[in-house]
Amino acid sequence: MNAGFRSQVAAVVERDLRRERRRGDVVWVTIPFGAMALFLLPLAIGVDTQLLQRVGPGMYWVVVMLFGVLVSVGRASIETDAQRDAVSLLGLDPAAAYVGRSMSAAGLLLVYEIVVGVVAVVLYNIEVIGIPWLALTLVITAVGLGLLGSLAASLVSSSSAGSALVPLLVAPLSVPLLLGATQVYEGLRLGRSILSWMLLMVVVTLVTAIIGVGTARPLQET
Amino acid sequence: MPSEIRSRSWPWIAIGVSVAVALFLAMVSPADTVQGELVRIMYVHVPAAWLAYLAFTVTLVGSVGYLVTRKLSWDRVAASSAEIGVYFTGLAIGLGMIWAKPTWGVWWTWDARLTLTAVMFFVYVGYLALRNTADDSRVRAGRSAVLGILGAALIPLVHFSVVWWRTLHQPASLLRPDGPAIQDPLILWALLAGVVAFTVIYVALMVKRIELHRVADRIRDVERSADRPVAGASVTAPELGGGLGDE
Repeated sequence: MNAGFRSQVAAVVERDLRRERRRGDVVWVTIPFGAMALFLLPLAIGVDTQLLQRVGPGMYWVVVMLFGVLVSVGRASIETDAQRDAVSLLGLDPAAAYVGRSMSAAGLLLVYEIVVGVVAVVLYNIEVIGIPWLALTLVITAVGLGLLGSLAASLVSSSSAGSALVPLLVAPLSVPLLLGATQVYEGLRLGRSILSWMLLMVVVTLVTAIIGVGTARPLQET
Repeated sequence: MPSEIRSRSWPWIAIGVSVAVALFLAMVSPADTVQGELVRIMYVHVPAAWLAYLAFTVTLVGSVGYLVTRKLSWDRVAASSAEIGVYFTGLAIGLGMIWAKPTWGVWWTWDARLTLTAVMFFVYVGYLALRNTADDSRVRAGRSAVLGILGAALIPLVHFSVVWWRTLHQPASLLRPDGPAIQDPLILWALLAGVVAFTVIYVALMVKRIELHRVADRIRDVERSADRPVAGASVTAPELGGGLGDE
């Protein structure tokens, strides 16, 4: 990664974070929405505290996956064709734009995961074990979802059904991340090896990154 | 018989012959000692699942082909194959559920093969939905090609899921490193005939779908060019002052 590429990535990250600071989509919409979902689920399945403690980690990851997609949905709906054209005319490397967008999304998703995680621990009385491994799982999941969401947002950009389509594209593709994340917690809880699940998550994230970077230019040209 | 009629009728003849042979073998093959007559669902379920793999692999080839060559013919191959693949994946899932109820006691179970097949189905439903969002042929082709490549990563996952995660679904019966697991030659031939018949149906449907996509693209191009203003149409002659016409 050369200095020009790095500075372009940094510029895109800075732009996206500035936009988030101005609009507050993640802080004021996505996080409260995720917390609300965690609050509603026990009302639907029953308020048995032992049952909630058992299903809580899985519920948390489902909420992270389904509502975390909103971070990418928001961007797909606010970027106009004119903005995209202006950015490409500035000579921004499409791969740098993709990496930058994914990194900013991953950062926002990590904040979302942490806040919603605290809510889940409080509401479901979840036991927090293996903190370093859990932290690594949160980071990999955030990066993987950020990469998938940014790729999906690029695919649907400037189309009328864009924001509605992003969740349909991201949700099935994020299943390996969901499986990996839930199994890591189960492995830590039961004292089993978690390396194969971590490896699955890393491979999915890397494959998405390679496809996203490799197809960034053809996608920009469309 | 004129050559045009011959070329139009060959797919139907091929489908008719292959389906008739497959049906005959499926009917005369012996019942399973454990499952009884239920085993005959396999002659449709397995070929449908095989066709899903084939169709989505062809979608991958078409997607890569489009991104490399930028020829829309590759995109038509990818799209046609994905449409057929979604249909046959749905068929495989539906038939699998019908088979599962009497044998496993449930319509659906969270088996790795079933779950990943359903995930693959939804990915390609998303692929078809994505194609509907863009009017421009090149935009649609470029975007769907990326998803066609990404979705193909699920094909080996679905196939090897029964090896990596041994759950309820039985392992592969035909595509095994140590040869087919089916011992009875009549059952094996019936299954292979089903696979051949479904493949013939796939080829015939592909030919028709590609032709339909080509015609649809041409119609869309004609409509778009008709809507486009002629060069210079926005320039109008200036009105002359002085009211010449009134005088």
